[in-house]
Amino acid sequence: MATILPRPVEPIEEAEPSVLDDADLLGIRLGTPVRLDLLSDLKIDTQIGTIWLGTWGLLSTVLFVAGLGVTFLAGMDQVNGNPWVLVKYFANIRVSPPDGLGMAHSLRDGGYWQIVTLLWAGSTLAWAGRCYERLVRHKWRPYLLVAWLSAILLTATIWVFHPIVVGSWADAPALGLNSDLSWAQNFSVLWGNLYYNPFHQLAIFFLFGSTMLWGMHGATILATGSEGSHHEDNEIKSMSSGSEKAALFWRWTMGFNAFPKSIHDWLWWYAVGTVLSSAIGIIMTGVMTNDWYVWGVDHGTVAQYGPITRSAINQYPRPMPPPPTGYAYVPAPGK
Amino acid sequence: MAMLEFESVYKKPGNTLFKWVFGEDPFDFWVGRFYVGFFGLVAAVTIALGVSILFIAVGQYGDWDLWRANIPPPGRSVGLGWAPFLQGGAWQTVVILATLSFIAWGLREVDICRKLEIGFHVPAMFSLAISAWVVLQILRPLLMGCWCEGFDLSFTGHLTWVSNTGFRYMNFYLNPFHAYAVLGFFLTAMVLAMHGSAILGTYNTDKDPNVEMRREDSFWRDYVGYSIGEYGIHRLGFYLAVYTLIMSDLCILTSGTLVKDWVDFWHPF
Repeated sequence: MATILPRPVEPIEEAEPSVLDDADLLGIRLGTPVRLDLLSDLKIDTQIGTIWLGTWGLLSTVLFVAGLGVTFLAGMDQVNGNPWVLVKYFANIRVSPPDGLGMAHSLRDGGYWQIVTLLWAGSTLAWAGRCYERLVRHKWRPYLLVAWLSAILLTATIWVFHPIVVGSWADAPALGLNSDLSWAQNFSVLWGNLYYNPFHQLAIFFLFGSTMLWGMHGATILATGSEGSHHEDNEIKSMSSGSEKAALFWRWTMGFNAFPKSIHDWLWWYAVGTVLSSAIGIIMTGVMTNDWYVWGVDHGTVAQYGPITRSAINQYPRPMPPPPTGYAYVPAPGK
Repeated sequence: MAMLEFESVYKKPGNTLFKWVFGEDPFDFWVGRFYVGFFGLVAAVTIALGVSILFIAVGQYGDWDLWRANIPPPGRSVGLGWAPFLQGGAWQTVVILATLSFIAWGLREVDICRKLEIGFHVPAMFSLAISAWVVLQILRPLLMGCWCEGFDLSFTGHLTWVSNTGFRYMNFYLNPFHAYAVLGFFLTAMVLAMHGSAILGTYNTDKDPNVEMRREDSFWRDYVGYSIGEYGIHRLGFYLAVYTLIMSDLCILTSGTLVKDWVDFWHPF
């Protein structure tokens, strides 16, 4: 079995100058590149920095930090401004969305949530601008931008599009650690068990498939990297013995193999497929059906485990419980 | 395939585990594109037997629908004993044969790695994937003292099992190992998209000579301040998948054995 040779000392690399860099008033690279030799023990690159600022990057950072600040203020508001209580109950602090589709009546009844949602929507979109602008500068094909926009599409579907379709911001997740988990649990129960949503099934298939593909592709390249299979952009042009062995391993194992280019098509589509099918599954919830278990029974995909009360299911729009308002922190008696 | 004209260079007998132990390997051959070997034969036999029993059982249960066809585990009264064929014996047989075939498949991968003289990363990763199956269907039922703890061999049937198991321990989202595993799944998908985009975005072809100067490293340094490198990214992906699988194993292994209620679990904190 061949072993990986020690890595040569890497010289510090500066980005090559480009006219596109000067087109941005804020087009500067922050910091000076440093080498962290500790990282070579992990067999990963040792150079840290520099990082591009740019107008889009600054905008995205400012909006993100502003959102964090408003979230912090909302949390402080819930604990009467006591930072110790905020730390102690951090996991249970939640910034809830308002009921209905209009503006919130007050900051506490969803106003904080609406402000933070707006700020972070702006932040992710500005980051997409940064992504596009850097892709143009480095002459990449726009795969990364499409992947990032797909991720934004899923987030926007959960936070904005689905709540609009079902008529209440309250169907969106609250901001917070436990409230995030509660949303996932309650959303599934509220809409009749998401496991029977075919798009959710497809999304889980792609998600587990993504982990499996990272296992397969990562393992294949690590196993053959000593023969050069990890120089992937050049391998696509002409294959080294490492890529030949990688291809033959899978051909002999399962009768099918990818090549240095096509494996990355598989990877990209599995990852993007995850978020796209998730987005379809979320937007179809409340449109295709109000109860995915009943949908499954009606379409013969799941055995019927008990009686179904259809009169309750066909109510639309679905009556929503009012979101919890005011203070998350209620001191227990005696404390 | 025209692109695989190099195959004959590597397609040589020898270097198998069977030959290493017994000095001679009568199973060391290919059938078409598939390598066979001793473990390939074991895998083929166990897969054929398991799939046959699967079909016989489904025929006996009577629901041939692809979504609903179900082979349930034994009932609670069976405990760790053997069940009659239609009361869970089919499930027990299929689980044993599937486990054998998975292990044989992994050892066959080891043989192929030895033939190609490459690292054993793929069989190592595959054995972790097998561990998830073994934990769910064998180890945890053993610890809980009942084969009925295994999941149904079915499409929507196993989804129902997942749903019920989550509620049985109150709220599975509050299981910290489950949360770490979900984090791992999401991270693998994100890093996968980033890696796929990096390679598809930058590869050079003869048709496209103007883009020779595309650089992955300087893009990632501009974009996020660090580039992990063309070898490092595969180490990151590999170990993210390892982490995800270990956390998945822990999350189901602790449920019902050590922790009966994941909401109450947080009470001391």
